[in-house]
Amino acid sequence: MSAGFHYPTRRAFLGGTGAFAAFPFRGFASSPPRRVACLEWTAAGMVMSLGLAPIAVGDLKGYRQWVDQPTLPGTTLDLGSRGEPSLELLEELDPDLIIATYGYALEVGDFERFAPTYDLPLYADKTSPYAQARLETKRLGERLGREREAEALLLGTERTINQSRLRLADRKAAPLCLFTFFDNRHLRIYGAGSLLQDVLDRLDLRNAWDRETSEWGISTVGVEQLATIDEARLVCLEPIMPHAVRMMRRSSLWQNLPAVRAHPITSIPTLWPFGGLDVAARFASLLADNLVSA
Amino acid sequence: MTTGWQASLERRSTPFAIPALLAFTGLCVLLTSLRLTELLPLNLWWSALIAPDTTHVGQLLFHHSALPRVAVSIVAGAALGLAGAIFQQTLRNPLAEPATVGTAAGANLALGTAAILAPFLLETGRELVAIGGGALATAAVILIAWRRHLSPVLLVLAGLVVSLVCGSASALLVVLDRDYMTELFIWQTGSLIQNGMAVVTNLSVKLLIGFALATGLIRPMRILELDDESTRSLGFSPAVLRLAGLAVAVWLSAAVVAAVGVIGFVGLAAPHIAGALGARTFAGRMVAASAGGALLLWFTDQLVQVLPLSEEVPTGTATALIGAPLLLLLLPRMRAIMPTHGGSGMASPRHVIGWWMPFAATATIAVTIALSLLLARGVDGWHWASGAELATFLPLRLPRALVALSAGAILAVSGTLIQRLTGNPMASPEVLGISSGAAIGIILLFLIGIQLDRTSMILAAAAGALLTLGAIVLMAARASFSPDHILLAGISLSAIGTGLAALVLASGDPRIDFLLAWLSGSTYRATLGDAATAGCILLAILAGSPLMSRWLEILPLGQATSLSLGVPLKTVRLSILLAAGLCAAAATVFVGPLSFVGLIAPRAADYLGYHRPLPQLFVSAFLGGVTMAVADWLSRTIIFPWQVPVGLLIALVGGPFFLWQIAKRK
Repeated sequence: MSAGFHYPTRRAFLGGTGAFAAFPFRGFASSPPRRVACLEWTAAGMVMSLGLAPIAVGDLKGYRQWVDQPTLPGTTLDLGSRGEPSLELLEELDPDLIIATYGYALEVGDFERFAPTYDLPLYADKTSPYAQARLETKRLGERLGREREAEALLLGTERTINQSRLRLADRKAAPLCLFTFFDNRHLRIYGAGSLLQDVLDRLDLRNAWDRETSEWGISTVGVEQLATIDEARLVCLEPIMPHAVRMMRRSSLWQNLPAVRAHPITSIPTLWPFGGLDVAARFASLLADNLVSA
Repeated sequence: MTTGWQASLERRSTPFAIPALLAFTGLCVLLTSLRLTELLPLNLWWSALIAPDTTHVGQLLFHHSALPRVAVSIVAGAALGLAGAIFQQTLRNPLAEPATVGTAAGANLALGTAAILAPFLLETGRELVAIGGGALATAAVILIAWRRHLSPVLLVLAGLVVSLVCGSASALLVVLDRDYMTELFIWQTGSLIQNGMAVVTNLSVKLLIGFALATGLIRPMRILELDDESTRSLGFSPAVLRLAGLAVAVWLSAAVVAAVGVIGFVGLAAPHIAGALGARTFAGRMVAASAGGALLLWFTDQLVQVLPLSEEVPTGTATALIGAPLLLLLLPRMRAIMPTHGGSGMASPRHVIGWWMPFAATATIAVTIALSLLLARGVDGWHWASGAELATFLPLRLPRALVALSAGAILAVSGTLIQRLTGNPMASPEVLGISSGAAIGIILLFLIGIQLDRTSMILAAAAGALLTLGAIVLMAARASFSPDHILLAGISLSAIGTGLAALVLASGDPRIDFLLAWLSGSTYRATLGDAATAGCILLAILAGSPLMSRWLEILPLGQATSLSLGVPLKTVRLSILLAAGLCAAAATVFVGPLSFVGLIAPRAADYLGYHRPLPQLFVSAFLGGVTMAVADWLSRTIIFPWQVPVGLLIALVGGPFFLWQIAKRK
């Protein structure tokens, strides 16, 4: 069980009835965008979670490696680098809508000449990413004409998080520390202001990392900083590069960290920590799986 | 071949050395102790060292992180100092060290290539990969300088350009495969953070072996202090001796790169510290340089940890930022060895501009631009744009093609002016550091946190370029500075620019995509307005150049001739420099700092036989513009929908061209 929402069947149902009901009025209302191009991964993940496959995504190979779920269909095209998405391809594809996300130094207005653009300001400020993700999901749902899918996603995410909390309720859980390996000497730890932190709060789990974080709710620190979190349970987000594995095998510091000695380090499959509600739901259930089996 | 450096060794006496080293050691110990007491009270140090209580955070970090870091800074510093001493001895070159002869950049490129193409190699053969890359790059540098009897300035010039090319190639790898980006960046900045004794132990063994090998080489190395003839008459082959010494030095430097990354300038400074302390023999220098290098890196590493910055500066960046000015300071000590007269072999036939040539040039430009507008790749592969398609794609392709054309031509004009002015055929805005100055301006803008719009970028770039120019003018006024010294100064500046850029890139700032694209040279954001600006600047400089033609003809003949012909030297130099510098700054904003077009185009024009100022200027503008336009078209199409930064593409061709040029000079 990866995510607890069941939009495909629901969508099939709603799609059938909805299309029937809406058909006579299509001529009046502007039709919702079908061909959507996403300049980077957060937008692509959110559009997918509303049941629409983007026609093109920036850095497709990177999406497959760092975001993974929801899986993009084979027909989605690569737009080129996220810093310089190919303008010629955008021109050729002629999308109905271009979605950009805050933080990539791209002027959204520059893309207006190809199609209407939509700015997804996740996570423009650090206050409650989860609430922001809910808000943005609704807003995006309206823009894409997928209000029902958005509503379903909101409910489904709540339900998945609640189910995960119940699964973990009777366990006396140690504080957690969530991180990704940056290289073999540096980690990116998720703390206050990150979506993962908000999900931890909703799962009644404590984050052992209470230090100051960057604009994106992360701290990039040396491995030695893990010594300060005592016997927290380390949970690593995949992918883990080979030389990080080698470091864990060889480093005397790593092996002597209180947290490493207290619990075996576990990992959860790749997910995009800067994503939307689908990521929140996926993270909640993956973490529950991880802690139940630990 | 005695350099000023060897004479300076004899100045002070040895007794001064021991107290000085001890005092510096004392300072390092004090700094380290201050930091360590923050971690752990003094009374627990012994037990933390011998049998740490790993449940105690302070003791754990003391034993497994802080101490290994101190140890690795000492061992890596000693290895670099030793390598530097051997490099300087074998090459008889006071500026030789792992970073200036290309070893470090070569090793880094090899590691980056392996990370992307064959990651399994890094599991077991990390050092072999680094040594292979370092040795190849060093061999290339030495081969280039060999025919000029390893002239010190030429060797370092070749070394720095090989490093630039390796750096461009590494950057290209990053563009093609972003997964390893952060890792490569951190590697390039040389972080000494440790998490255990494994790295230190490994590197210490290498240092001991290296030291033993170097000890075995003491006598042969001393023979190298004689000239090659005398060495031969003693029955030694200077080449074999050099090769043996270089092998040890390359191996040591590559081991350091494989262990902690690129740490520049420690190997340069350490032997000079040894010299200043009065180490006269090679054996003495070896020991003193190792000690000096160890102390220097130890001190720098402690320093970056106590600096009150929000994010720690990687130690390798700190040494580069401290070391590049040091290189500048050391320059006047070196004798000028390269001939200062410009103009390559006049063997090629002399051509004048024929009446038909402007038409042919216009036609070629038109064909190039048409090609770059019409032929492109799309979803279905290569195709020619038809009439209707052209209308849609023209607004996307035209600004880029025009900006590339104009910027290339502007750089070529700027290069011609500078080569004529300095009488140095190796000079160009890129090589003199004017482009780097512009880049530093923009990076500083970035670091300060000002919004990066076109206007502020142009202002910052112009300020940086003009400051650099001013510094070059001042330096050029000093009699002790040969044109080659100025080249070297320019390349040191680009090292500072690279260091600053690495700092920003490793910081994880979300805007790095943009900076990275700009630094590697990209026309992605070009607008029609940019194209118009660049075109106007080009037209202005082309129209103004006939006014300078007489000066440009006379200046390369030398100062005395110029003065006797009644050229107001100061005014003329200043106005030409100003024109060349402003051009370079403008072009840098449009296509980034890495290009080499300003170097290649004037040389190519000269090579084709256009030796007189105006023909050379116009032909080189034409060649520069067309080259850049073709490169821009390639950069847009070869890995569509991805884009190769046009600057990197040209640097990969231009760097080797530069090396070939200096290699073939007699």
